[in-house]
Amino acid sequence: MSTSTDTVPPTATAPPRIEARGVTMRFGGLVALSDVDIAVPAASIVGLVGPNGAGKSTLFGVLSGLLRPTAGSVLMDGEDVTRRSPQDRAGRGLARTFQHPELFSGLTVREHLVLAYRVRHAKGRIWSDLVTGRGLRRAPAAEDERVDGLLDALHLGGLRDRPVVGLPLGTSRLVEIGRALAVDPNVLLLDEPSSGLDTRETEDLAATLRRIVTEHGVSLLLVEHDVDLVLGMCHEVHVLDFGAKISAGKPEAIRADPAVRAAYLGEATDPAEETA
Amino acid sequence: MLSYVLAGLSLGAIYAIASASLVVTYVSSGVFNFAFGAMAFAVARFYYWLNTQQGWSIWPAAAVALLVFAPLLGAALYGLLFRHLRLASVTVKIVATIGLSVALPELVKLVLGDLPDSTAPGLAERPLTVFHPFGAAVNMDQVFTYAGLVLVLVIGVGVLRYTDVGLKLRALVDSEALTALSGSGPGRISLGVWAASATLAGLAGILLAPTTGISVEGMTFLMAAAFAPVVAARLRSLPLAVGVALLMGVVTTVIQRYLDPSDPLSAQIVPSIPFAFMLLFLLYYAARGQAGDDSQGGALDRAIRPEAPEVAVAGRAQSRRGLLSPSVIGPIVTVAIAAVLPLVLDSYWSGLAAAGICLGIALLSYTLVTGEGGMIWLCQITFAGFGAIVAAELTTSAGWPPVVAVIVAGVIVVPIGLLLGALTIRLGDLYVALVTLTFGLLATNLLFTRDPFYSYGQGTLMTRPDWAFENVVFCYLALAAFVILGLLIVNLRRSTAGLAMSAVRWSENGARTLGLSVVQTKLLVSGVATYVAAVGGGFLALNYQSSLPDSFNPFLGLIWLAVLVSIGARSITAALVAGLVFALLPAVFQTYLPAGWTHLPTILFGLGAIMLARNPEGVIAMYARQLGDLLGNRSERRRRSGRGSGSTGPGSPDETTAPTAERVASGGNA
Repeated sequence: MSTSTDTVPPTATAPPRIEARGVTMRFGGLVALSDVDIAVPAASIVGLVGPNGAGKSTLFGVLSGLLRPTAGSVLMDGEDVTRRSPQDRAGRGLARTFQHPELFSGLTVREHLVLAYRVRHAKGRIWSDLVTGRGLRRAPAAEDERVDGLLDALHLGGLRDRPVVGLPLGTSRLVEIGRALAVDPNVLLLDEPSSGLDTRETEDLAATLRRIVTEHGVSLLLVEHDVDLVLGMCHEVHVLDFGAKISAGKPEAIRADPAVRAAYLGEATDPAEETA
Repeated sequence: MLSYVLAGLSLGAIYAIASASLVVTYVSSGVFNFAFGAMAFAVARFYYWLNTQQGWSIWPAAAVALLVFAPLLGAALYGLLFRHLRLASVTVKIVATIGLSVALPELVKLVLGDLPDSTAPGLAERPLTVFHPFGAAVNMDQVFTYAGLVLVLVIGVGVLRYTDVGLKLRALVDSEALTALSGSGPGRISLGVWAASATLAGLAGILLAPTTGISVEGMTFLMAAAFAPVVAARLRSLPLAVGVALLMGVVTTVIQRYLDPSDPLSAQIVPSIPFAFMLLFLLYYAARGQAGDDSQGGALDRAIRPEAPEVAVAGRAQSRRGLLSPSVIGPIVTVAIAAVLPLVLDSYWSGLAAAGICLGIALLSYTLVTGEGGMIWLCQITFAGFGAIVAAELTTSAGWPPVVAVIVAGVIVVPIGLLLGALTIRLGDLYVALVTLTFGLLATNLLFTRDPFYSYGQGTLMTRPDWAFENVVFCYLALAAFVILGLLIVNLRRSTAGLAMSAVRWSENGARTLGLSVVQTKLLVSGVATYVAAVGGGFLALNYQSSLPDSFNPFLGLIWLAVLVSIGARSITAALVAGLVFALLPAVFQTYLPAGWTHLPTILFGLGAIMLARNPEGVIAMYARQLGDLLGNRSERRRRSGRGSGSTGPGSPDETTAPTAERVASGGNA
């Protein structure tokens, strides 16, 4: 992530930060994704919505490299990374969270962010610490500043030395988001980040995410069931149903799309009532 | 040829009964029963006591042993142990059942006495009737074995397919939670399963007794051999397990027709066949990606399952650090006590203390691989054996200084551990345990027992350095090695690599998407743990002044693991304490207590591992945590009384911190 405070505008000429082209994912006879296209330009927030089982988390798995698609390709900054490992994609600036938080039970809240920070900024320490004994000494000031700053910003300061075991779901999600932000990503995939958070926490999180997008050009792909949050935050929204993309466009267009209303928002939803 | 096939079917039938029992208990309870051999021994020993020692005739003795004693044993073990393992991790399940396998036979020996002669009758009257179908020879013991398998299959299929109990059991396999919601008591069904399992174990033990005798080793070997069909069945398919068991029995006997009985290699190949079977199936499934973690139960079971206790413990273990914390003071006090021992003990006891410290070094490898890495490797004792053999060869054959030989031997053994680590990276926890145990058994059977390494069990001479020949000095040499390796582990634990190890242990997907290499991290753990085990083996050889290959049997390694984990798998102090306890406690009992009490130390070791079902962190870690909590609570109370209340409650984000998106963006104090 850049340290510039200038807003990075989406450009039409630059390739998307991450893109799925014609992705199909089959598990035996089950087609989880069928010929799905999606692109996340630089400094933009793209929403991905759909009912349960629509294939959203599967698409995240494909984009992050945990799943290899049956057909189609994944590109980062225009380069085909379909056969690249999750580690390789992380090295290119991709970070993600999970629908069910994948935390490291043996680590404290702060250690999650410390590890993430070092993976990005001091990866050699994984090996060199063994020889230098640096892990026994005080951490560099830049590391402390960045990690503690993130903890405070996510309201996790009071829990920094607490093991993550037993944390409530919402707090676990914040730890996961903090871990993802600590690698200073270019692309951030967030899987239901507001699940488990109350209204105020959700608003804070939305403000935080908007800020990192506008100030640092981070691209955000957001899977979220909170329709108001998605439609309020995103520049563009894609809708999946039964593994196929049924609609894509600006939030207002998505809200008015009859196919989306039938599949996801519900026929009873009236845009006029919603906005009233 | 037909005689070989019929004999093989008899052996295969026993494997089939054993593997069927293992599969049924695994699918219904999620517990892979490493105590199966011990249960078989207990029932067979009871049958022998009734039949041979009490003079009961065969059928009443068999009926009481199999239909009364065995179900009661199974039900008691379910109540005492297995029901507590339902939600435990694979590690705790394995170690607790290993603990039972250690304690139960000794308990039986304590009650029923040792057998001077382990040969035992089966279910057939002596002298044996022999039949000659198509010119082949079949004796009555074999006929009863075939009949036993047929009976088990008929009753098993009948119960599972056509009875209400079978329906409930099949429902339990799919989802315990839904079974409970439907009004069926999963506890009662599980109790029945374990009672039936003990009966099958007893039947296998009684049928095996005429061939191998009633010995713990024989029954344990039966169990280990039966693992192969279970693995072939991917832990679940009963028909496949039975089929592969029969095939394995036939191959084991038929191959003997083509082996030269005078060749020592033949005696090593035959017992290795089940393990070669298992290795082939494991590699096959691993290559197809079908040997991952086996998810127990249905979606509802997974949704309502609480976090395993040891997961919480793993988190708590890192919560408090500082010079005055128990995690710092404890090791210093323990090492100080170990340092005083050689000064106050005579030569005999200081020799035992030296053995304990050397064992402590080897046990540090479990601290790394299981405690830190979360990998259940059951072959660390084999790496120790390799270290002992290589170090002894370097010293005696190449004339190297002993300490240098031990250090270099560790390096030489590391590639074996790296290879095994690479082969097991994609396997689930239970499969890793099985493949490493298999590797250990194969290495022991095929390498450790070969000359020039074996030398009638004496191994290769390994002299201590002249300056450390006396037990006292050698104790300090071993203790210095322990402290150095312990500090290296502390360094590893606190390093970025330690954080990465923990990340990979608890969430591979989380670690991979963070940019960590699961392969590199696991290989790092494998390599370092192998090195530590090999150095420990080298020191054990130095202690005994010989490589003594027989002292590195994988089944003994299971006891090592049980002792260590029951004291504390993640604790460096626990490794030293476990080593000293393992070496000194039996001698204390032998020296100061009546002869009948000699079984007690082993029983205690086993019970310690069984206790893990209740206290997954181990004894030392538990007390250290409790002491730490006590001290922490006191200081917290002082702090609060000093400045008033107002700290953030656990589990909720810090309420006092203002929401600052700026900090995320700018990296801190915006």
